[in-house]
Amino acid sequence: MHNLHTVFSFEVTRTLKKKSFWITAFAFPVVISLVFGIIFFSNQATEQASVETKNQKFSFAYTDESQRINTQLASQLHATMLSNKQAGISQVKAGILDAYFYYPSDITTHKVEVYAKDVGLFDNNRYKATAEALLQQSTVATIPQETTAILQNKISYAATTYKDGVEYDGFKQLIAPGLFLVLFYILISMFGGQMLTSTTEEKENRVIEMILTTIQARTLIIGKILSLIVLALIQIVAIMIPLIIIYLQFGDRLSLPNIDLANLPLDPLRIAIGAGLFTLSFLLFTGLLVAVGAAMPTAKEASGFFGVIMVFIFGPLYAISLFVSAPQSQLVTFLSYFPLTAPIPLMLRNAVGNLSITEALTGIGVLGVSAIIILSLAIRLFRYGALEYSKRLSVSSLFVTKNNTPRR
Amino acid sequence: MSHSDALVTINHFRMEFGNQTVISDLSFDIKKGETFGLLGANGSGKTTVIRALLGIYQPSAGELLINNKTYTVDSDIKLGYLPEERGLYKKETVMTVMTYFGRLKGMTKKAAVLWSLEYLERVGLAHKATTRLDKLSGGQQQKIQLGVTIMNNPELLILDEPTKGFDPVNRRLLMNIIEEHQRAGATVIFVTHQMEEVERLCDRIILLKDGTASAYGTIDHIKETYAGASLDDIFVSIYGDEPKAEEE
Repeated sequence: MHNLHTVFSFEVTRTLKKKSFWITAFAFPVVISLVFGIIFFSNQATEQASVETKNQKFSFAYTDESQRINTQLASQLHATMLSNKQAGISQVKAGILDAYFYYPSDITTHKVEVYAKDVGLFDNNRYKATAEALLQQSTVATIPQETTAILQNKISYAATTYKDGVEYDGFKQLIAPGLFLVLFYILISMFGGQMLTSTTEEKENRVIEMILTTIQARTLIIGKILSLIVLALIQIVAIMIPLIIIYLQFGDRLSLPNIDLANLPLDPLRIAIGAGLFTLSFLLFTGLLVAVGAAMPTAKEASGFFGVIMVFIFGPLYAISLFVSAPQSQLVTFLSYFPLTAPIPLMLRNAVGNLSITEALTGIGVLGVSAIIILSLAIRLFRYGALEYSKRLSVSSLFVTKNNTPRR
Repeated sequence: MSHSDALVTINHFRMEFGNQTVISDLSFDIKKGETFGLLGANGSGKTTVIRALLGIYQPSAGELLINNKTYTVDSDIKLGYLPEERGLYKKETVMTVMTYFGRLKGMTKKAAVLWSLEYLERVGLAHKATTRLDKLSGGQQQKIQLGVTIMNNPELLILDEPTKGFDPVNRRLLMNIIEEHQRAGATVIFVTHQMEEVERLCDRIILLKDGTASAYGTIDHIKETYAGASLDDIFVSIYGDEPKAEEE
């Protein structure tokens, strides 16, 4: 325990001292802040421009062959009606009018024509907007308010669904167990590279012999894995705090969905299964990344395998619709129980609620056994490959060669 | 071959890598408190013996014992090992690395820091305590590695070509440090090509050739066997006709 704690402290402390750790940690919220900032200021600018456009007064005339324009409304906008289209165009050309709108007799087959004085690329939109608003409001004035609301999709709906006779909101139900899937992706994406290269450092720095004659290889590997988990959690907190602040401060101005966290349904069984699947999936992939790293002589060579491992993590996403709509299909069953693809379908199906208890327990068993095998293999690879400073170690050589196998 | 006062016992040790036999049949022992020289030409298997003794390699046959037991990191002996392949965590500071190894060797953090400061003062590197290792010269890094090796007063000190890369000043410093550990009662295994160092430090030696012991005993005894020749001459007479291999 003493050495495990020492390795753990050493790995955590030195990583926390690295600038790259904090740059990675804060790069994500900074980028998100920039994106939200752009959306926020863009929304604000658009809103302001819209208000300015609305308040801008410009002189215009119109010809209405469609018989749809409300003359009272047009008068309120100080618009004058012309009977001759060519006269309207001529007045715009002569600078007597700022704009002229021509509404043809059949607006469904012919275009509404807008003629206007150029006021710049963006400001020219005000003419079309006014012509459009005049037609819409004139039409709205002729039909009942309810009809308008229906056509404009302004009717609110409240859906209540039941499962086993109890009210059940599928979307809200998936949020809590679904967080484990999100967490898994974040951790692997952010720390996968570090896991892959965590064991190559000892080899590249030629410190491996001193380490192996001082502590157990198992202690070193477990210490490193524990430190990576803690560092990942620290980084998640570093990411989440600014995001939560942004959400709380500016959420209403960013048109973000408003989720009532206080009334979020929490299904203890699904959350427990999600936590179990997440933990074992994380250990399995950590073991796999560490094993690949241990077999490689350098971090550079190990990094080349990162993409291959990511295929197993992101590949199943292509079957995401099947996981939801056809959970009993053969493909979904295979992907759910094949160890390297199992994490995504199992966690996703648990989140959407189509993973039975039996399937969950089988999945947990598969992941657990695989994680143990892969972690043991990683430790063996690390010990066996310790002195292979310049060449890759093949898994087969672990079982074929016996003469220079380490005995610890 | 085993003696009650032996700290290290090696009996009929054989080591094969695939079809290649590096050590065919080797037996010797090292007594508690003695300084023992493990000599041989490049590729004669010196480092292989050490790695097998420390459990890094599994022997093809025979037994290699420390305190009558196969060595593991849990063995009840304080070990200091300076491997031939050297290196430390290069991106870390001197003090961080020394403290880390001190802690792994069972020292408290405070004791490790105090010991490190004292050692750095002695080897003239006190001002480099907070410097990253990759910012130090090769010789300075060697001193740090030696410091890490002798932390926590090892009972068994195994030095695989310790003077490799040292200038004469640092070599003398190293010799002094080894002698201090000798005086403190440590058993020292010394792997080297430097006959001058062997004559100065070693009580007994073994010369490896073709995977077995070509000569074994006290320096005086071996010299007598070779009609009073110097160790250099003995070395040349044993290995002079061999092509030099690069790896152990």
